[in-house]
Amino acid sequence: MAAKPTRILLGRIAGAHGIRGEVLIKTFTAAPETIGAYGPLSDESGTRTYSIEHARATAKGVVARMRGIADRTGAEALKGIALYIERARLPAAAEGEFYHADLIGLQAVDGGGKPVGEIVAVQNFGAGDLLEIRLAGSSRTELVSFTDQTVPEVDIAAGRVVVILPSEPEPDT
Amino acid sequence: MARSVWKGPFVDGYLLKKAEKSRASGRNEIIKIWSRRSTILPQFVGLTFGVYNGQKFVPVNVSEDMIGHKFGEFSPTRTFHSHSGDKRAVRAKPAAA
Repeated sequence: MAAKPTRILLGRIAGAHGIRGEVLIKTFTAAPETIGAYGPLSDESGTRTYSIEHARATAKGVVARMRGIADRTGAEALKGIALYIERARLPAAAEGEFYHADLIGLQAVDGGGKPVGEIVAVQNFGAGDLLEIRLAGSSRTELVSFTDQTVPEVDIAAGRVVVILPSEPEPDT
Repeated sequence: MARSVWKGPFVDGYLLKKAEKSRASGRNEIIKIWSRRSTILPQFVGLTFGVYNGQKFVPVNVSEDMIGHKFGEFSPTRTFHSHSGDKRAVRAKPAAA
């Protein structure tokens, strides 16, 4: 299993917005305007930090005012910067909830402990969350419903989930 | 133009048979279907269908909210991958039949 990333990408500055130093941010958060809710954000190298003073969601993305940026020239200079936070700053998930960032990368094993594959993505197409698992020794992926029945055990500390793949009905004779 | 009410919802006939057979077996199984055009009926609630999207079978756990929609709505043919951000997944309890 690859080492879990300690920093999570929450957004990327797409460019300047207006002439008052606001920036347009493409966010990857569940609610776009909450990008500043976890405290200061840092860039890819982790050397510079950015604080969001105010953010509002628009049709184009989130328009935010960054601390220390007062004009368009300053805002334009931030274009392309990726905004990260430390994983530890995210609040604890509720019972039965898991951050996608925690699930991705976990090893999937069957009931007997035999490796099935690795979780590469978490999807939701409107009928519940699905784990996308890259099967061991293959580039093929399978989607598995994220339910108590099919995923009875999630052990993030041990880096594995137990997956019970549903059977297929017997063909008509 | 909307479908005439007198016709009732459209469902491919074989789905009803498959659903009935699966419910009778009482096992945790995925019913593989290719009929994306079929309407989700109340008797499908609690079952899990694998709806083909041209590449793979996408698991669709049918719940009450989905009645009246088509199966294809829950099995996109194009997938969009995004960064995980602060998104959370909820481990669902199996839907009551």
